[in-house]
Amino acid sequence: MAKAVKIKKNVEEGLFDFLKSLLETEKIKGVFTLKKMDDNGAVSYSLITSPDEFKKAVPLYPFMPVNAGKALSSFTLLGKTEEPIAAVLRPCELRAFVELIKRAQGDVENILIISLSCGGVLSLNLMGDKDQESTVSKYWESVKKAEISPDTRETCQFCENFLPINADITVAAVGNKDLDKEFTLFFNTPKGEEFSKEASGSSVSEEIETKEINDFKKKREELKEKFFKETQSEDTGLKSLVNIFAPCLGCHGCSHVCPICYCTLCEFDSKTHNYPTSSLGSDLMVKGGLKVPSGNLLFHLGRMTHMAVSCVSCGMCSDVCPVNIPVATIFSKVGSSLQKEFDYFPGKDIEEPAPQGTYKEDEFTKIGEQ
Amino acid sequence: MNNNQKETKTNPKKGKILPAEKGIREEVLNIFKKALADNIFDALLIPAKVPNTDAYSWILLQDESLFDIADPLPPVMTVQGGRALSSFSKNGELDLKIAALMKPCEIRAAVELFKLHQIDLNLVTLISIDCPGAMPLTDYMNDPKKIGESFKKISEKWEISESLRPACQNCHRFSLMDGTASDLHIGLVGENNKVTLIPNSSIGNDLLEKLGFEPNDSLKEWESKKEKLVKEKTKKRDAFLKEWQEKTKKTDGFFNELNKCINCHNCMNACPICYCQQCYFDSQTINFKPETYIQKTKEKGALRFPLNTMLFHIGRMSHMVLSCVSCGACEDACPVSIPVGRLFSMVGDQTQKEFNYVPGLNREDPLPLQDFKEDEFCEVETPNECEEKVTEEAK
Repeated sequence: MAKAVKIKKNVEEGLFDFLKSLLETEKIKGVFTLKKMDDNGAVSYSLITSPDEFKKAVPLYPFMPVNAGKALSSFTLLGKTEEPIAAVLRPCELRAFVELIKRAQGDVENILIISLSCGGVLSLNLMGDKDQESTVSKYWESVKKAEISPDTRETCQFCENFLPINADITVAAVGNKDLDKEFTLFFNTPKGEEFSKEASGSSVSEEIETKEINDFKKKREELKEKFFKETQSEDTGLKSLVNIFAPCLGCHGCSHVCPICYCTLCEFDSKTHNYPTSSLGSDLMVKGGLKVPSGNLLFHLGRMTHMAVSCVSCGMCSDVCPVNIPVATIFSKVGSSLQKEFDYFPGKDIEEPAPQGTYKEDEFTKIGEQ
Repeated sequence: MNNNQKETKTNPKKGKILPAEKGIREEVLNIFKKALADNIFDALLIPAKVPNTDAYSWILLQDESLFDIADPLPPVMTVQGGRALSSFSKNGELDLKIAALMKPCEIRAAVELFKLHQIDLNLVTLISIDCPGAMPLTDYMNDPKKIGESFKKISEKWEISESLRPACQNCHRFSLMDGTASDLHIGLVGENNKVTLIPNSSIGNDLLEKLGFEPNDSLKEWESKKEKLVKEKTKKRDAFLKEWQEKTKKTDGFFNELNKCINCHNCMNACPICYCQQCYFDSQTINFKPETYIQKTKEKGALRFPLNTMLFHIGRMSHMVLSCVSCGACEDACPVSIPVGRLFSMVGDQTQKEFNYVPGLNREDPLPLQDFKEDEFCEVETPNECEEKVTEEAK
């Protein structure tokens, strides 16, 4: 059973103080977390080394401006950090980081991973909104009661994987009705336990999976079924996909913010996919008309085949889509069936190779040789 | 400037006024139906509504049946027209005669892309149309029916409504300008239920001739209404520029507007002028080792991730702002509602004035960065000599 420490402070304040003491005592050299930009409500991920700058840190603020797994990957892409740092990320961001590490896009060594039981994040279009403060406090109320906040991303609303895997330290947030006064930190790994002394609280014997957590999970599972069912339009297949992706501008924002899409230059942004002017005459002859720019649907299908098996359902793609295509729900749905086929859970185990990176002779025997 | 263009410029402009009893949209489409049927063009680039959806898109249309979905005045700007035209004409020479019906800002973007060798205009006839503006893309996608209907009302009255995209509210270049951008212009602001065809090049003249229209009609009505609206909108634009120059007077003010940025680069991918296959800011050049990041962090106390979020905007700005046509596509595509189109338009206005350059106005005007003028910016380089020159000229 993981070591647990109860801290008699508001959860945001308590975690802040814990991280601050790690930084001040130089147990770690930096904290990677969310930081307030200015007074207009914007937050961004930052690596913070100075205690003075740390005053602006808001580790549990319910926004995901970028998937932190992607941001940590850019930090450790060319090697591990020599100086120890702590990173606060949400469970799906952590899963994304694990998937990136498997693909040699990051390194977790010397990074103390802190995560939380996650109530979700607010849609990015609410960032900088004039009612932001009240939306955020409403959000925390729903976290306390283990209710699904309607202001959170669609993927958050149906996320059943809101407990972190692979976190050294977990902040128990969901379902704690006294979150304003006290909360529990779970030290899950030996690496995490090294820092337990810095948490000023009393040891308790608790489990992270409470009745509230299990009920919450059930509620979200039900919603997932509902959302997935709604996404499955009656008229499936190519025709339905054509309609769903009809408004796509081809801005490729979804791929830019996707933590799994790590290619420096996407195949679909490369010259390979420039439309050959010489084909115009024959294409028009056959089809009578061409949607231009062409290839938007192919882009989504291509991207899907590349990353869906590792999709962590973080919802970044839907949040940045300027034409409201439910990209994340579609990808999450396809991802979840695909992951079942491969018996693979993205972000679970750093050592487990990604399905495309491994060959099993007896896999898919029903479509291959008997 | 070649002779043809000079001619059309010096002659008092005349055009062809067509009645549009069945509606403007129908009449405009009829012109192109005839042009395609008579093989004046092989294909037409025009906005269209995707069947069974509320979405709009560009189609390159050859089959007459597709006119059913074509819409010369859609409620939204999806992909910027210049970008759409470039997508199929940058990779080789066109061997088909194509007509492109686009909004004036899209025509201007196409002209800039032509100068940047991203569009082959050889067999393309550019046709501009008086533009009532468009609605914000996200507003429309949230409620296509309601926003579509209110666009209809706004566009019929040529109202400078606050529900239009900010770029469109502040646009004073919504009609034909005194330049060589489009070959033919379709005037709509004149008399009600009339479509005015205005040839603007020898190609435009030929087109009217082939269509059997003699450009003998006076353009007075259209011109006076257009001028009135241009005046009104210029006033609106000047007020916008003043307001935003004030807001962003200090660097902090400017960066405050951008600090919500999440680095998705949607603005760049929607921008017609940003044509690079791979942006510098998406390249591997900007990857560093962890120790370098830590060093940078220690110098500043904190380091934002992803890196270069602000530098990206400044870099992009320095690359494209001289050609910025203020189309607002960037702002439409921004998921966190940064007024990025307004910022770029404002900076563009100032830098373009410095170079005495209007992007997309004339096909012949060289891009400022490709054109060396010895006495340009002498006040920065050689202030003393510059002063002498200026006084000499004054004498």
